[in-house]
Amino acid sequence: MLTLRRQIRAAAAANDHVRVRSLRAELREVERRWEEILEPPTLRRPPVREHVHQVLTLLGTPSAAKLIVTVDEAFFAGLLSNTQLTSLRRDEEKSFRASPNARPYYLCAALTTERLSPVRGLLAVSTWPLPQRMIGPLSPRVDFLLATIRIADHVRRIEPSAVALRLLTQLAQNVPGATEGYGPADPAAVAAAARAELDVHQEKDRRQRAEAAQRAAEQLPEVKQLFGAGLRTAARSA
Amino acid sequence: MSGLDTWRGPNRLDALRGPSKPVDHNARSIAALAANPACQRRAILDAAGIDKGSTIQHLGYPHQFGQSPFALARQEQFKAIVKAHGGAHILRLLRELLHLSVEEAGYHNVEDAADDNGRAVRHRHTRTVLRSAAEQPEHAATLFDDPLLKLNVAGYDVYLEPDVIAFQVGRQFHVVAIKTFAVVDGQADTPKVSAAAREAAVYVHALRELFSSLGLDPARVAHDVVLICPKDFMNFPTAALVDVRHPLEVLRRQLERLSRIDDILDELPPGLSLDLRMEGKTPTRPAAELAAAVSALEARYAPECLAVCEMAYFCRAEARACGSLEALGRTVRDDLGGLESIDTAIHLISGDPVCSPEQDAIATRLQYLRRLHDEAVA
Repeated sequence: MLTLRRQIRAAAAANDHVRVRSLRAELREVERRWEEILEPPTLRRPPVREHVHQVLTLLGTPSAAKLIVTVDEAFFAGLLSNTQLTSLRRDEEKSFRASPNARPYYLCAALTTERLSPVRGLLAVSTWPLPQRMIGPLSPRVDFLLATIRIADHVRRIEPSAVALRLLTQLAQNVPGATEGYGPADPAAVAAAARAELDVHQEKDRRQRAEAAQRAAEQLPEVKQLFGAGLRTAARSA
Repeated sequence: MSGLDTWRGPNRLDALRGPSKPVDHNARSIAALAANPACQRRAILDAAGIDKGSTIQHLGYPHQFGQSPFALARQEQFKAIVKAHGGAHILRLLRELLHLSVEEAGYHNVEDAADDNGRAVRHRHTRTVLRSAAEQPEHAATLFDDPLLKLNVAGYDVYLEPDVIAFQVGRQFHVVAIKTFAVVDGQADTPKVSAAAREAAVYVHALRELFSSLGLDPARVAHDVVLICPKDFMNFPTAALVDVRHPLEVLRRQLERLSRIDDILDELPPGLSLDLRMEGKTPTRPAAELAAAVSALEARYAPECLAVCEMAYFCRAEARACGSLEALGRTVRDDLGGLESIDTAIHLISGDPVCSPEQDAIATRLQYLRRLHDEAVA
């Protein structure tokens, strides 16, 4: 840079404007590279929706924002925060209404089996079959057990971080027979215990969900199958 | 209609309040009412829906009442933990506590279906859901989150929001209360537990009223309340059963009294008004006049009032001014039963002659205490 500056001074003294201009440009380029070496620019983050999609694919069930953030922290980059998820569903709905099915997937709502209205706070993926996005009376429990099994299996596959083990232990505390004492939970035992309870509920839950899914498919237009029917949606679309 | 009739019932209460809007009750205020059933001042002020906060402020006592924002935030946070994953913690605790069978794991959020449609809709939905649960138990969920109950208090409808209602334990409905005080080594702070029990009793009462109005057996609502609190020093929930029969009984009596509040009203001086004469947001009524009007209502102050009643500082000043024993707490008052004021007690301690034979025993005890005190201090 010092040499360049000296050359610029010499060229300016010789009234060689063309050379001055080209040397200045060169100097700016060198300075930019210098700054970059000192402070490399942060990599562009992939959008929030992709993170959420990744987490939901791991969990395989409609999930609350808090669980999504914790799972992201435990197994992925850990870049998500609760506040980023608050308006996600609304943004996705807007995008879908503007140009339906333009994206390969949408982050959408889970629907209550009772009124096919969106369940508060749950996020799901539009490519999942409809029954998977239905929430009946037993579904919160079934989904909790399924998510626990998926997390336990994933913990077994990888070298788990402390956050991942803590998450698994927290979930396992509410599965009967999954943990003893206060130590970190054993993923194999957790998965087995959760499967045992899942066997009790799954059949009844599947029936309720399938029945509601059929109702939704017959009664609702596509956008409402994804984002729920209810007064709120109607008011917003009006 | 005769002139006397307009002085009775809601009309009389409206006249007491003046033109301002009545203040809504909530579970806390109803529970506080039942905490001190003998206090006519609170009974009247609440029945008339008078804004006690502005009244006490106008009387010159700083407004030091209400929950701190930190306590409210903590409450929200802990509730979120307990209710996460379809009430996973609640299910675990119910299985441990009430031996709920594993098959019973249904969760129904009443708020979901009635979304933002106002309280009346949510209440109607709660009624429908609870009725179908009571009539067809095999299809019902086990936990009902965010229900909305209604209770008629002194002619006004009050909406109440219990945390969770649990069902299917022996075909009975249990009210679940989530509180943030810790249960350390199986022990919790007694005043806090009794406050929680009083609040939960309001929900049990409202739920029983709902059942009677649906033509169902009110006894299906259990008098045991499931109290969920943080365990030891962790954020981990634990639960205990709290029997609320006693607060329930007190509450029922108090609510009956409220509906028969005419009797108290009849004893008040005619033409009494507690109107602040609000102009915009500033009260224009002279504070002294208002104080005289409030004093016409008989209060029964106890130090516990400080935690539950806006008027407490006014009542305390009043009790102290007339040297009432109530100001020293219920234990002292009960121990010195028969004495009217602190002055009399001091006379007895200093060995003045006893004026009535009933005071003899108390005088001996007080003098004995004084001897002990003198020896300890000497």
